[in-house]
Amino acid sequence: MISTEGKYTVETFAQKNNLTRQSAINKLSKLKKAGLVSVSGGGKQKRIYTLHTKPQKEQNGFYKIVNKYSPDKLNPSFEHYVYGKYTVENAIIDGLLIKDIRTKQAISHLFRHIKDWTKLFRLAKQKGLIMQLHEQYNYARKITKCKTMPKRYKL
Amino acid sequence: MINTKDQEELFKLIAEYLEKDIECFAIGGTAMMFASYKNTTKDIDLVFKTIEDRNVFIKAIEKLGYSNKAIGNIYDNKRKELFSKPLIYSRGEERFDLFVDSVFGFKLDFLTFVQKHEFIGKQELILFVPIFELLILLKSITRREKDFEDIVTIIKTEKIIDWSFIVKNAIKQKNNLPWILIDLEDTMQKLRSITLIKQKYFDELYSAQN
Repeated sequence: MISTEGKYTVETFAQKNNLTRQSAINKLSKLKKAGLVSVSGGGKQKRIYTLHTKPQKEQNGFYKIVNKYSPDKLNPSFEHYVYGKYTVENAIIDGLLIKDIRTKQAISHLFRHIKDWTKLFRLAKQKGLIMQLHEQYNYARKITKCKTMPKRYKL
Repeated sequence: MINTKDQEELFKLIAEYLEKDIECFAIGGTAMMFASYKNTTKDIDLVFKTIEDRNVFIKAIEKLGYSNKAIGNIYDNKRKELFSKPLIYSRGEERFDLFVDSVFGFKLDFLTFVQKHEFIGKQELILFVPIFELLILLKSITRREKDFEDIVTIIKTEKIIDWSFIVKNAIKQKNNLPWILIDLEDTMQKLRSITLIKQKYFDELYSAQN
């Protein structure tokens, strides 16, 4: 019987399951392949293995993009998975839809990474968020060093 | 039967055939697959906000060769008579059960979800997955073959189940769905051999029923 959920090092995992160090490494490797273990650390840091009861899937949506680019990190309020091309432009629009102050603060930093203004404004128009987008852009200009909006989109 | 990978590919394909962006709730086996409770499901259960959204979805799956089927023996008679019964579409072994707004009268709160799956094609198909307590409750309402097995799978995976949430939600919906408390009590009685459910939750159900 393998110990359930929680954080372990190789040594604690081996001790808890009455295994040798090498057997513990092998077991953790198999569990990792099954998606039941996530690992942090490595190199100079000691590896910490987190065991889950269900296979874990890596998120690739809104929170992944925001937490990559923004210094204001967000704690996900839901798990977001995207199948297809999801970019900074999509994340800005989703952030505006969430309507939360911390989220709005965080998405301000995404304006630095916009590559496709046309896509951004097309998405904003679809969701009826043109005004909010301009407000957010003006706010982002004050607090971050972001790209200038092309003249044709200015109000 | 459809597995997790095929299901994802199918939704991606459907997103290519949609005429507008739509959002819906995944329940039943589909939600369980998204939440990694199991790998295959017999049917794909979806709940749409409006009939228009469901029609857009139907138009897309019809283009892919799915056709409307009679509800047959999938659900029992008392469920088949309800206005809020699903439309069934199938192609080979894959089947869609498409509800609108409610599941046999059980109204869904579209703002409460734990996962959002966004399939970006020509248009966007967004699927929300509810919390697992709601999945347990919905499975005790639909009561199809294997629904009880699915509830057992969730209970064995999750250590802590908020029975208070399940019971309170069932009581809230009893006017829309008269037999909900009876069905839930029956399921909870069967689950007593697997997990500990405090007597106070049964008492709450009995007092609400009376």
